[in-house]
Formats: sequence, C-alpha cells, structure tokens
Amino acid sequence: MFGRNRMLGRLAIHTVLCFGALLMVGPFIWMLLTSVKTFSEAAQVPPVIFPSRVIWENYTEVLRVLPFDKYYFNTAITTISRTLGQVVLCSMAAYAFARIEFPGRNLIFMLCLSVLMVPGQIFIIPQFLIMKDLGWLNSLQALIVPGIFSAFGTFLLRQFFMTLPKDVEEAAKLDGCNHFHTYWRIMLPMVKPALIALIIFTALASWNELLWPLIVNTSPDKMTLAAGIASLKGQYTTDYPTMMAGTLMATLPMIVMFIVLQRYFIEGIALTGSKG
Amino acid sequence: MKKQWFAGLLVLIMLLLQACSDGSGSGDSPAAADKGGEGDKVTITYAMWDKNMQPAYEEIIRKFQDANPNIEVKLELTPWEQYWVKMEAAATGSALPDVFWMNGPNFMKYALNEMIAPIGNRVAADGIDLNNYPKALIDLYTYNGQPYALPGYYDTVALYYNKKIFDDAGLPYPDDTWDWAKHKEVAASLTDPSKGIYGFSAELWNQGAFYNTIFQAGGYVISQDKKSSGYDKPEAIAGLKFLTNMIQEGISPTFAQLSETPGHTLFESGKSALYFGGSWYQGALMKAEALKGNIGVTLLPKGEKRATVMHGVGYALSAKTKHPEEAWKFVNYLGSREAAEILGATGTTIPAFKGTEGAWVESNPELNLQVFIDSTEYGVPFPVSKLTSQWQEKETEILGRAWEGSMSIEDAAKQLAEEMNKILSIE
Repeated sequence: MFGRNRMLGRLAIHTVLCFGALLMVGPFIWMLLTSVKTFSEAAQVPPVIFPSRVIWENYTEVLRVLPFDKYYFNTAITTISRTLGQVVLCSMAAYAFARIEFPGRNLIFMLCLSVLMVPGQIFIIPQFLIMKDLGWLNSLQALIVPGIFSAFGTFLLRQFFMTLPKDVEEAAKLDGCNHFHTYWRIMLPMVKPALIALIIFTALASWNELLWPLIVNTSPDKMTLAAGIASLKGQYTTDYPTMMAGTLMATLPMIVMFIVLQRYFIEGIALTGSKG
Repeated sequence: MKKQWFAGLLVLIMLLLQACSDGSGSGDSPAAADKGGEGDKVTITYAMWDKNMQPAYEEIIRKFQDANPNIEVKLELTPWEQYWVKMEAAATGSALPDVFWMNGPNFMKYALNEMIAPIGNRVAADGIDLNNYPKALIDLYTYNGQPYALPGYYDTVALYYNKKIFDDAGLPYPDDTWDWAKHKEVAASLTDPSKGIYGFSAELWNQGAFYNTIFQAGGYVISQDKKSSGYDKPEAIAGLKFLTNMIQEGISPTFAQLSETPGHTLFESGKSALYFGGSWYQGALMKAEALKGNIGVTLLPKGEKRATVMHGVGYALSAKTKHPEEAWKFVNYLGSREAAEILGATGTTIPAFKGTEGAWVESNPELNLQVFIDSTEYGVPFPVSKLTSQWQEKETEILGRAWEGSMSIEDAAKQLAEEMNKILSIE
C-alpha cells in the first residue's frame, strides 16, 4: 500500500513537471516551427501548427540579408569580455566587501547596491554621453566596458563569501597568505558554484542585449546578433519566418553553453536556495 | 603558477580592449570622419528605420555619390521600435546623424528644441518648388512658417475588401459611391458568426481607423493653433461612434478579440470582409496565400465628407551637423524627382514627389492602387503637437474604455479632451 501511494505521488509530481517543461519549451518549439513556415502560414488565424512544407530557404535568406559571421564574432567578443570582466572584478569587490574591514565599507556597499534599485533605462542617456566623449561610439568597447562590472554580481558573490567559515581564512593567514592570496587561492575556489551562476547570468544577458548595442552602435559591422536580427523588423510588417530562422541560429551557442554548464548551474541555484 | 595565470588574464583583457579600440579608431568612428581637410572626402551619416526600403536608398546613395565623388554617405539602419530612443540619446549628446528620417509625432519636439535645421532659405536658394509635394505633407513639417524637412514618401488609408466573401454573399464589391450607412449595412449583412466571419474590424488605432472617421465626420483632433483638443466636439464623437457602434452590434469583433488578433490578421485569414488599411499594407497583404486573387481596394467610405489621414516621412537636416552644405546637398537629392523615381520603382511605398507615383501604382497590377493617390486630394495631415506622444497615450488609454464598452463614447471623448487640453496647455 505504502509503495503504491508513493508511486502515485511520483506520478503526480512528474505530470506537473512535464506540464511545466512543456510550457517552458513551448516558445522554443514554436520558434523552430515558424522558422520553416511560409510567411502566410506564420500569420494565419487560426494558427497553423505544422507547416505544409518545410521551407529551409528561410535560413539561406537570413544568411543572405545579414552578415552573420560578423555578428557572431562581435557578440562572442562582447560576451566573453564582459563575462570575464565581471567574474574577476565582481569577485574581488565582493571579497573586499565581505571580508576586509576598511572605513566606509558599508556606505560604499550601499551605494553600490543603490545601482540595483533604479531601472536600467535611466542610465542610457548618461552612458551614451560618456561613450560619445570617449569617442567610442560605433566600437566594440562601447558594448564591453559599461557591462564589465555589475552591482548584482558583487552582491551575489558577497553573500556567498559571507557564508564561508572564517576559520579557513585564519588558517591561511597563519600560513602566511596575504589578502590577495587568500582571495585567489582559498576563497575563490570555494564559491565556484556562485561564479558559474554569475557566468551564466552575465553571458545570457550580454548575448541577448538589444537596446544598448542599437543605441551606441550604428554601423552594421559593429552590431551584435540580437541587434542585427531586430533590424529585420519592419514598422508595419515583419517577415517572421526569416526572423525566427535568424533567432534560432543566434540562440544555439547559448543552448550549448547551458548544456555544458548545466550541472554547475543547478548546483548554484541549490546553494543560493539553501544558504541565501 | 596561479598568480601568473591571473596576470595573464588581465593582460589578455587589456589587449582585447586595445585591439577593439584600434579597429574602430582607424576607419569609421565619427571623429575620424571629421579629420578630413578641405578638398578631402567628407562622410555624412543618414539614418532610417525601415529595412524594406534599404535597397532603394542604397541605390539612391550610389547615384548621389557618383555625382558627388567628394561626399560619402553612410546609411544607418535602426529598427522602428528603438529608433526614437536612439535619436533621443543622440540628440542629447549632440550626436544626431547628419540627415535622418523624421515623422509627424516627433517633428515638433525636434524643431522646437532646435535639433533639426529650418530649410526655408536653402529651399529658396536652390529653387526647390514645394508644390511638387502634397500640401498635407509640407504642412506636417512646417513650424512657424518655416519648412523643416523635405517629404520623402507618404501613406494614405483606403478600404480593403475580400472579394470571395462578397461573391459568396452575392453582393457587389464596394466602390467609391459608398458612404458610412452603406458600409455599415453591407458589413452587417456579411457578418456570419457561424463561420466566424465579421463584416469589419473596428480597431482602436488612430492612423488606421479613428482619425480617418473623425475627419470624415467633419471633426478635428487638434485645433489649427495646437492649443485645444477637438475630441469633445460632436463631429469627433460621431466619427468615433461610427466605429464603436459596429462593435456593439456585433459587426466587428470585440475590443478584447481585436487585442488578441489584430484586424489585419483577421483580414488576411479571411475572417473580416472589410478592413481599413494603409498604402504600406498592400505589399505584405499580397503574401497572404489564403486571399490570393481575392483582394480589392477602394476609397474609404464617405462620412459628412471624404477624408483620409495622410502621414509621411520627411528628410530632416541635423542642426548640429559638421557638414551642413554636404548634408543639405544630400537632403536636396533625396527630395528630388530622380530619387523619388528610384524609391517608387521598388514598389515599397509612395514617393512624395508628385508625378512619380506611377511606378508604385504599377508595381502591383492586381490591386487598384491608384485610389491611394486619388485620396491625397482630401488628405488631412496627421495631427501633431509638441507633446504628441503624451496625448496619444491618453487616446489609447481612455478610448480603450469606450472600445471595450465600460464607458460611453461621449464620456470618454470628453475626458480625453480634458486630458489632452491639460497637456497642450503646458506645451
């Protein structure tokens, strides 16, 4: 009897989970299907679920109209630089905020956090002006530098550092480690799950960023994937199948990244949940 | 060992940044373009938002560069949804493109803040005849008696119909004799709930729907002096009512239905017999396979009088451009007959230069596109003021309640007029 109840319980849980998974993967499947439809199939009511004929030409079309190789290159450089920058800078700042006593520490940390409390759109014009004064409009560093540090990342990692036992650190100190060594050799390896989570967050955000690249950069050879694909959108009509074909190609690297880092990602979430 | 690795990482990041900045510094940053001395090549930038028209403008730029070998034009495309955010940032930073697309709702804001240059003197000096363009478009871009942009292309609105639905019902197609009463009567008789077919789709859309009917009823949206709203006038209310009545009587889908499935999608799927649509719509409509060979278009039905909203893009000259002469030369060429002919030949839109519409009309022999050109005779400029977008938001918000039926049209119109007058008084 007991075993049977457990079976039933599991069945119920799995049904719910399957439903949730289906809900999550739905938009992706829809994108996949739309990318091989004709224009009129994509716009029809009631919607056509399966295309009558698979139109692979949408893929060749999007490759013809957009310089995908340049977009991939720009997006990859931007994403890698921003992610590296955030991992290094945020973890250093986070360690300092968590463990080093210095005057004004809490005030500076509050100021840092206050960045999180205002909507990002507010920064657009001031940041644009800074980029312009630096002469960086239409450049890759205009995409990279403003995103190289994040208050969120600092906050996330600081919370992790705070949870680590102080004993380890004291032992390191006794063995002759200075602050930097303690941070780099002892503490950083212990927050690996949090770092992986930050990598995923940052990489996803910078891969998908749309508005900022469109604002600072104008020439097509300095565009990122998301911004380039958005240019397929017309004012009144949009060729959705072509756009979806482009979007699908643009998301592939992120999907690969997720699969590779998935194990750590889940670990990261579990840790945030249990100790946060 | 690990320390070295870390140092190496930092060096790598720096090198990467260095490489990026070298790459852009060498060629195409705005700063580099300014370095050219006299007699050297001058680079001007030209911004637009419609991908569909990019090929036509690339051709126009090629022709212009051939005739002016010392000027290079760089085309910058930003999608519609981000275009104005970008322009606002650029205007704040005095980094507007030298020449760029302007539209009605934003025009006053840029003119009043002296972000775009008045071109009256240049027009006179170069002997450009503004009568070459439809008057509604010149009026749209005139402020304080000064023109600020040369019209590029325009759109008007007409009545699209699904021939198959008419054939099945054995009714004659709509024509230019139709008035509101006839429109409503036929739309009612074509409505067939069992097949999910509606006679008409009364959308909550200014340019494509209620501005037209307000003007047809003899009303106005904003007074000539831009000081007061016309929404509380009986004519405007009549114009709005013409549309909402059809929703109430079930001739048109409800507001909720239309929010889920826009009118054009219903029309393309053969679920709406009649549809008010702009000239921009015909190209995309031709791709709707469900309607192949079954589409017709004619003038909008007549209310108290005939009217259609006329709106179009203008070529504006940045007031802060470093190369005003070269940039103006390009504006002048964009507004010329030659450029209009190139634009028209692609069939993407109606060029504003009078007499060049022919190529557009012929680009789609299946439809009688001439009606869009004929409509210009009674075209009314798209209503604008300095804070257009603010009262446009109120339109959607307040009229939305009337569209969904939670408020009477009279009350909604009155409230909208009050809100709009409030906004106009602070302009």
